[in-house]
Amino acid sequence: MTSDDIENATESSRLTSVFCGMTFGTPLVLLSGCVGFGEEYTRIQGFSNRDVGAVCLKGTTGEARAGNSPHRVYETPGGMLNAIGLQNPGVDAVVRQILPGLDFSETRFIANVSGSSIEEYIEVTRRFDDSPIDAIEINISCPNVKEGGVAFGNDPAMSARVVEACRKVTDKPLITKLSPNQTDIAVNARGCIEAGSDAFAVINTLMGMAVDIETRRPVIGNDQGGLSGPAIKPVALLKVHQVYQVCREHAIPIIGQGGVASAEDALEFIIAGASAVGLGTALFYDPLICRKINHGIERYLLRHGVETVSDLVGSLTLNRGRPFQCGC
Amino acid sequence: MKHPDHRESIFQEDAEIISHDCHPCEQYVLRLRAPYCAAKARPGQFVHIRCGDALPMRRPISIMRVGDDRIDLLYKVVGAGTRLLSQRRVGESLNLLGPIGKPFPLNPERPRRLLIGGGVGMPPMIFLAETLKAAASDTFVILGSEIPFPFLPKPSALLVPGLPDSVIGAMPLLDDWGIASRLASLQGFAGCHQGYVTDLARAWLEHSDPGQLADTELFACGPHAMLEAVATVARDYTLPARLSLEEYMACGVGGCAGCVVEIHTPQGPTMKRVCVDGPVFKASEVFPV
Ligand SMILES: Cc1cc2nc3c(=O)[nH]c(=O)nc-3n(C[C@H](O)[C@H](O)[C@H](O)COP(=O)(O)O)c2cc1C
Ligand code: FES
Repeated sequence: MTSDDIENATESSRLTSVFCGMTFGTPLVLLSGCVGFGEEYTRIQGFSNRDVGAVCLKGTTGEARAGNSPHRVYETPGGMLNAIGLQNPGVDAVVRQILPGLDFSETRFIANVSGSSIEEYIEVTRRFDDSPIDAIEINISCPNVKEGGVAFGNDPAMSARVVEACRKVTDKPLITKLSPNQTDIAVNARGCIEAGSDAFAVINTLMGMAVDIETRRPVIGNDQGGLSGPAIKPVALLKVHQVYQVCREHAIPIIGQGGVASAEDALEFIIAGASAVGLGTALFYDPLICRKINHGIERYLLRHGVETVSDLVGSLTLNRGRPFQCGC
Repeated sequence: MKHPDHRESIFQEDAEIISHDCHPCEQYVLRLRAPYCAAKARPGQFVHIRCGDALPMRRPISIMRVGDDRIDLLYKVVGAGTRLLSQRRVGESLNLLGPIGKPFPLNPERPRRLLIGGGVGMPPMIFLAETLKAAASDTFVILGSEIPFPFLPKPSALLVPGLPDSVIGAMPLLDDWGIASRLASLQGFAGCHQGYVTDLARAWLEHSDPGQLADTELFACGPHAMLEAVATVARDYTLPARLSLEEYMACGVGGCAGCVVEIHTPQGPTMKRVCVDGPVFKASEVFPV
């Protein structure tokens, strides 16, 4: 293999994988809330939805939501806080007005479902089930709304009830998006698998705050927000590793996410157990990052003589031979 | 499959710094070689700049002027991003996204235009003025600053009826274009009105006859309090006004809904993204009665 071969290697079948029955052209997934409803980043010349395996649409609820008051985003060391508050036009508008405008020949589109009650989750999932959407992600981990969201996701029994209820109304692939803000993410994952989850998204944002010392008020309009970006990567990696321990025996795939900003980051997640890797905050810094990461993964596979991305998933060898318990 | 018209309207460029001039109180004028952005930019639009590799978020900065293959920006150091930006040197390159946003719409039925810029809100007004050179005599610019202006004011050669005789300071570049301008500050700078930009706006409007008022539209960019005062002036004279707003931004391209402001439409209040739905909004929708 010459360096030229490596340079020229793009969009090969090495990057292609099957995720819950869907063919992903590359292991990258654009994350919910970072790319609107799928057609915002196409404003940028050189950006293409074809460069990723799937695009997750913005969190969608039964009725339209205006979202939180400004400020909604704020930079923090190595990351950012956000408290958007699930601003969305409601599931009806998404299904009727937005989905028909999406080009499904370019990538897979995944809906992101939210609600304040189990009934709302069911209603939104049912509407998406009767739509061209490729898969449904249940967001039980949004830290920025008063009811539902992370309040459901932090309680394993509640999480399982939401998954079970949604499972009953759709045959589409069901991905449960887990919160890092909970005691034992593996317990929660196990319950969700039993309730019918086909896959996981790990992790959503960590809760955080920033204070304006002049006004002595939180900078974020909602007081607290979700922390994302490189700052949360080590937390996310450990959570992916922990959830993978539960998933591997059931062959349940994970979309690893949280602070991915390079091919090396993506590879860390894949080795830790992620079948696909999500990109959110990194797009804000470099909207054309997807192609670079695809290239980087490709080169790594060639360099290590690994046939496909799937062969790398969960290939982590622990130093102590068993999942570690604590850092002290 | 028909794709949205907005596809490929924003460019990512590694823009070379051609010049980077420091003005009083950490104000900087930055000239960048950004041919794709320069070719498409319109007044009111901005670029989203990566100020330093250590920062996860870019910073939005309004475009002040464009040339063949270059754009000029004016910014003031206000935080970590703009501080890093101020340390970048001529010859280095800066990654930018642009041009972004809906430009100021020009209504042909209101050809008499009053442009008001405050602080780092001056750049869009200068850009707008430059595109109005052909209508110079129908354009009047008022600029305000509480720190020394990022240019040397000089007595204007252009007469503006209705203003106090002592208020003669102008921006030389605008004078060169034949566009009258006047300056305001509470700091008592020579030749400037000691007071608010809206004092000058009211004096100018007061001196206009009803026919002229029917032809007039206001455009403004600046601090929130100034914009609110401009909206009040517009309401008092029943004139339309367009305001350019600011908010913290993450993506800058409509993806995150992080930059919203509350906009009051006839259908009720809604949250609009400053980056792609704005940054220019109707004053009456930003500050309803
Ligand atoms: C501005 C913003 C909005 C988000 N909105 C949602 C959302 O609506 N639903 C959701 O499940 N996750 C949402 N997230 C979380 C992301 O999808 C992702 O899980 C998280 O940001 C971690 O990845 P990152 O560090 O690559 O951004 C949002 C994140 C950001 C930064
Ligand atoms: S900054 Fe993301 S939508 Fe405006």
